[in-house]
Amino acid sequence: MSWLPYAVAAWLFGIGLFGISTSRNYIHLIGCLSVCQSATYVLLLGIGYRWDAIAPIFYDHPPGTPAVDPVMQALVLTDIVVGATLTALLLVLTLQVYKRRGTLDPERLRPMRKNAGGGRVGARQEPGTEAQL
Amino acid sequence: MSAILALLLLLTAASGTAVVLIREPRRQVFAIGLNGLILTVLFTALQAPDVALSELAVGTAAVPLLFVVALSAVRTASPSQSADPGDHTKSPEDA
Repeated sequence: MSWLPYAVAAWLFGIGLFGISTSRNYIHLIGCLSVCQSATYVLLLGIGYRWDAIAPIFYDHPPGTPAVDPVMQALVLTDIVVGATLTALLLVLTLQVYKRRGTLDPERLRPMRKNAGGGRVGARQEPGTEAQL
Repeated sequence: MSAILALLLLLTAASGTAVVLIREPRRQVFAIGLNGLILTVLFTALQAPDVALSELAVGTAAVPLLFVVALSAVRTASPSQSADPGDHTKSPEDA
């Protein structure tokens, strides 16, 4: 049993990396990245867990009762908040990519290819320039 | 207790695999929410109630909502529109 959290964490990280490397849609890729982050939650809580221990809340327990490690739980709490922020930031970047290039497929976003994304090369020109000319 | 923990850990692995293997992003949102719910129950079983509360708020509610908002923005935004939002107001005057 003691190796099972580490095995699950390794499996989640591996399947998340597999999803990232084979994804053809940026929104799907961000979901795979959140799977990688959930691997770190399982790993940290698996490190801090103790058998037959209480939650680290000593309101109705005497001090000195065996409790699980509260430092790891604080780290996991930070990890969850950072993960949500990272997901929001990457989704905004994905929306900007879609607005500029018109696609969400990473294969169609090679930076050195001409006319990528359906020939929207002039998208960064000044608005209304061609109509005035 | 050990059997419950082992079952929840295996459920977490299965739901993470489901999130990766569901390739359609609109269906993947449901898998992400289910993954957050299973992680919440796992954290409660691992004696971490505050982490479970945070995961319930963030992983089950906030992150799927972000994905839904992003998907709706992608679906409504046509790729033929211009990149700048300022162009959106100017183009009827030019035309």
